[in-house]
Amino acid sequence: MKDLTRSTPKVDHEEKCSGKSVFVSDIHLEGMLFAKTVRSTVAKAKITGISLPVLPKGYTIVDHKDVIKENVVNMIFSDWPVFATDHVNYIGEPIMLIVGPDKKVLDDLVPQIKIDYELEKPEFGYFHSSIHKEYTKGDTKLAFFNSDRIIEETFETGYQEQAYIEPQGMIAYPEGPKKVTLIGSMQCPYYIKNAVMRTLGYSEDQVRVIQPSVGGAFGGKEEFPSTTACQLATAVVKIGRPIKMIFEREEDMLVTTKRHPSKITLRAAIDENHKIQAIKAHVSMDGGAYLGLSGVVLARAMIAVSASYTIPHLDVSGDVYTTNTVPTGAFRGFGAPQMIFAIEMFMHHIAKELHADPFTFRLAHLAKQGDLTSTGGVFRDPIIMKELIQKAAEISDYHKKVVAYRKPGSFKGVGMSWFFHGCGFTGDGESSHIKARVKLVKDEQDHVFVLIAAVDMGQGAKTSLKRIVAQTLDLPNEQVTFNNPDTDQILDSGPTVASRTTMIVGGLLQRAAESLKKAWIPGKKIEIIEKYQQPDYIRWNEATMKGDAYPAYSWGVNVVEVEVSPITYQVKVKGVWSVYDVGKAIDERMVLGQADGGITQGIAYGYLEVMRHEEGKIKQKNFTDYIIPTSVDVPVYQTVLYENPFPFGPNGAKGVGELTLVGGAPAVALAIEQAIGKKINKIPATPEFIMGLLKHE
Amino acid sequence: MVKHIIPANLKSALAYLSEGTFQIMAGGTDLMIQKRSTAGTLPHFERDILYLANLEELRYIQRKDGSVHIGSMTTLEEIIDHPDAPELLKEVIREMGSPAIRHAGTLGGNIGNASPAGDSLVALYLLDAQVLLSSAEGDRLLPIENVILGVRKTAMKPNELIHEIIISEAKFDQVKWVKVGGRQADAISKVSFAGAYRVSNHQVVDFRLAFGAISITVLRNRAIEKKYENHSVAEINEDLPEILKAYNALISPIDDQRSNKIYRREVALNIAKDFIEKMKE
Amino acid sequence: MSNITFKLNHEEVSVELNPSMRLLDALRDHFHLTGPKEGCGEGECGACSVLVNGKLVNSCCFPLANVQGKEVLTIEGYSKTERYHVLVEAFAHEGGSQCGICTPGMLIAAESLLTKNNHPTDEEIRIGISGNLCRCTGYNAIIKAIQRAIKQGAGLW
Repeated sequence: MKDLTRSTPKVDHEEKCSGKSVFVSDIHLEGMLFAKTVRSTVAKAKITGISLPVLPKGYTIVDHKDVIKENVVNMIFSDWPVFATDHVNYIGEPIMLIVGPDKKVLDDLVPQIKIDYELEKPEFGYFHSSIHKEYTKGDTKLAFFNSDRIIEETFETGYQEQAYIEPQGMIAYPEGPKKVTLIGSMQCPYYIKNAVMRTLGYSEDQVRVIQPSVGGAFGGKEEFPSTTACQLATAVVKIGRPIKMIFEREEDMLVTTKRHPSKITLRAAIDENHKIQAIKAHVSMDGGAYLGLSGVVLARAMIAVSASYTIPHLDVSGDVYTTNTVPTGAFRGFGAPQMIFAIEMFMHHIAKELHADPFTFRLAHLAKQGDLTSTGGVFRDPIIMKELIQKAAEISDYHKKVVAYRKPGSFKGVGMSWFFHGCGFTGDGESSHIKARVKLVKDEQDHVFVLIAAVDMGQGAKTSLKRIVAQTLDLPNEQVTFNNPDTDQILDSGPTVASRTTMIVGGLLQRAAESLKKAWIPGKKIEIIEKYQQPDYIRWNEATMKGDAYPAYSWGVNVVEVEVSPITYQVKVKGVWSVYDVGKAIDERMVLGQADGGITQGIAYGYLEVMRHEEGKIKQKNFTDYIIPTSVDVPVYQTVLYENPFPFGPNGAKGVGELTLVGGAPAVALAIEQAIGKKINKIPATPEFIMGLLKHE
Repeated sequence: MVKHIIPANLKSALAYLSEGTFQIMAGGTDLMIQKRSTAGTLPHFERDILYLANLEELRYIQRKDGSVHIGSMTTLEEIIDHPDAPELLKEVIREMGSPAIRHAGTLGGNIGNASPAGDSLVALYLLDAQVLLSSAEGDRLLPIENVILGVRKTAMKPNELIHEIIISEAKFDQVKWVKVGGRQADAISKVSFAGAYRVSNHQVVDFRLAFGAISITVLRNRAIEKKYENHSVAEINEDLPEILKAYNALISPIDDQRSNKIYRREVALNIAKDFIEKMKE
Repeated sequence: MSNITFKLNHEEVSVELNPSMRLLDALRDHFHLTGPKEGCGEGECGACSVLVNGKLVNSCCFPLANVQGKEVLTIEGYSKTERYHVLVEAFAHEGGSQCGICTPGMLIAAESLLTKNNHPTDEEIRIGISGNLCRCTGYNAIIKAIQRAIKQGAGLW
């Protein structure tokens, strides 16, 4: 049996290098028109009037009046309108499309469209709660009552923009009299299909979604493309021609979803043995103008409160606040990065207050196999965190550096974060919401086709998933084909999110391939469908948030070393060391690629990437002002993968995609803390922020 | 309808400039972005455009009579590569933009763009650069600080183009350049600083400081510099608080999407302080 | 409209296009090339990278007028060279390409760097690709790929 951990060439490598890989902006269709979105310029208002210029022939306005069934974009929580009707709730909210053959004419027409606003008072900040969740574990009241020390701190995190290098874009076209096809940069073909079906009132065979090459996504193309799709589909129904809409970078940065800013308050009850007996936590998230999937982001953040530690008693509440700002949404980590930052800093700060060594203090709280999770589930599988921690400390020379750098005025620091990530959709999402199915078809030539909805957005799913099938069937890779998803051919294996693709979809494919192997008859066409079955031992109560939130957990340790300039307060990242337990890698090179990319985003979230709004207007709207790392900003990385095979994952694999981002920010923040000798409770820890901490004597 | 002229030579370019009003385009790295429109549509130019980047006559670096003459269309990369270009200018350009920007951007373009955050301008101010402006009627030689008037404003007349930049070869014991951007490469300066000095017989005979991105134009104050000429390094350091106070009164940084005025002010003075403290006798 | 004559991927071409047109738009919309891409439109991301007379430039802020009499090479032209194949193999070996949107630009940037300096240090490689943003790889795999290409392609640059 060939080893799936071994790396093989990516099936799409050549086409990506040559520039021949087809991304949505490369596609041109006969008779294609272009669309431009007319957007709200105010944060909150009633629309009292719209005056349109005389439109030249061939130019059409498409707005809410043209929506044929439901002016809503189907999402986990469907509160986004396709087009604003008589109210706008954020700067950039789509009011209408203007469609026509010449982009220059569209540009000239947009400013001639006058919208009359009756301004209303916009809301910003954590005031108007639209989603409230809470859960408990054990008895926090008693624990606080009996505590020796109570320590409370508040942490804040900012926006983070996915900054995929390919901007969002979509094409919609009529395929026959009552069928609409969409091609666009996406992560979830069926999210788009279901949304368009609902908005148009169309049935399954009347909407088709095709995935072209996708130039990065990171969650930013999870739910947002559904909004574009519904708008374009409505336009296609009205006009009957193919329509293409590619976002300009500034437009993309200003109006598409971003990571939820957060404010997290943690209060710990500590006993006389320096053990944290209880944590009371409140998580506030800024959901922007519409909720979408914010409830799930909140849930994941809340569930991550004890991170890689075991805390016996928990009282966790959270709120998503509605504000008149751009709606926030999915971004790799999905609530975990915010919480892991908070809890890792908190643990360190508590240790310092107790005059305890942070390393030893945290070690005493480390989760073990068999422990109850934050929501009262069980860590059923072996936890090898001690080994990961030891290895990370060894390869980074952590302990020696801690001693060397803690001298005041060193302006050097090293930080170590410990973290985990729940693999798969939070709670019962897999069985109640996704209900994944995979299909394998073997044709008469004994060629096998993988017919699933998983999107390769760079993580290598196109290569790794087909290898699982080929391996299980004992076939050469070339005898298995996994084409980009086309909903006319495939089954809904679920969205490409939540670190579920390898573990859940890969697992389903492995079982399907095993069934195909048993049913194999050479020369005969065979079709196998495999459905997701929630393992019996996973019990979850959505209302009380109790039970096993995830079927498996991946674990990691990051060490980051920094140097801070006492003159300019700039941070230089000098070293990055990571150790991960993702079960068992499928294609080690691809997993290491995820590791590198994830930690780069995670570290930058902690010190470099700044996005703020002023009265609802985003201030950083291009790559000049929203700063992501260049090649010069990153040092050489060292990454080690440990094996801890998960019995229910293909090849023993667990989730990878998001784990590698969640530890970066606390690692760099802890390093900066040590370098400057001041507590950090807020990220990004920019030079301006660092200067403020140092000057605040 | 906008006219586009790619002149065959310098004489022809000057002739066109005397006949009409033109937007001069050099490498395009600033102008093409400022005027850009939706992808796939033409940039918004209202004036006729005169494209100078291909004029070989304006691409040169020559040493003549104790000065270095740099043609306005010499690319930033060509300046880094040329042995005769001043070291400070090379050091500044190495941290500007990216390789792609440096292959197309020109020194003339930087001056014409007159950005408050323009790094090369700080070097030109510090080096007492002079700018030769040419027209069909003749030439004018102006010190750089008289060419740059404000944000995107220069003293150029409509019939003029930037011909060359002349930098007299000054000897320094130390030259320092500090660029503070948002990241280590490909960044717009939040604050920048150039400093240079020369010591002779234990006296500082040449003492220069210039600050970028903290005012609408580069800040250089010869009165402060002159005050400390013919003083020793130790004496200058004794007066450090006064020097910093003097510059503090002159700089006027702003709050914007990249940084804030408190940071810019503090860091500008930190850098100047560090420079002066590290001066060697 | 003016006549602009230049070499595109080794072929002499002559076009009647607006000289202020972005080179990127001329390449994608007139010549129907897909290699150079629009990532930001403001010279920051490098997805639009092409070579003009062997030098890396951002075609999104390069006016068509400025290619008059010059040689433009996009990934389509570059992909016919042995150097390209050495780089592609190296990128495959090190995992230097994930979503692929920055990859043609990275390869063009590598070519521009190695043509000028065929034995760059780690730092010089980083500077050479500092104008090409990648959000997927964290860059180290790309640096290793270029280092590998230099070794495997000894004598090519």
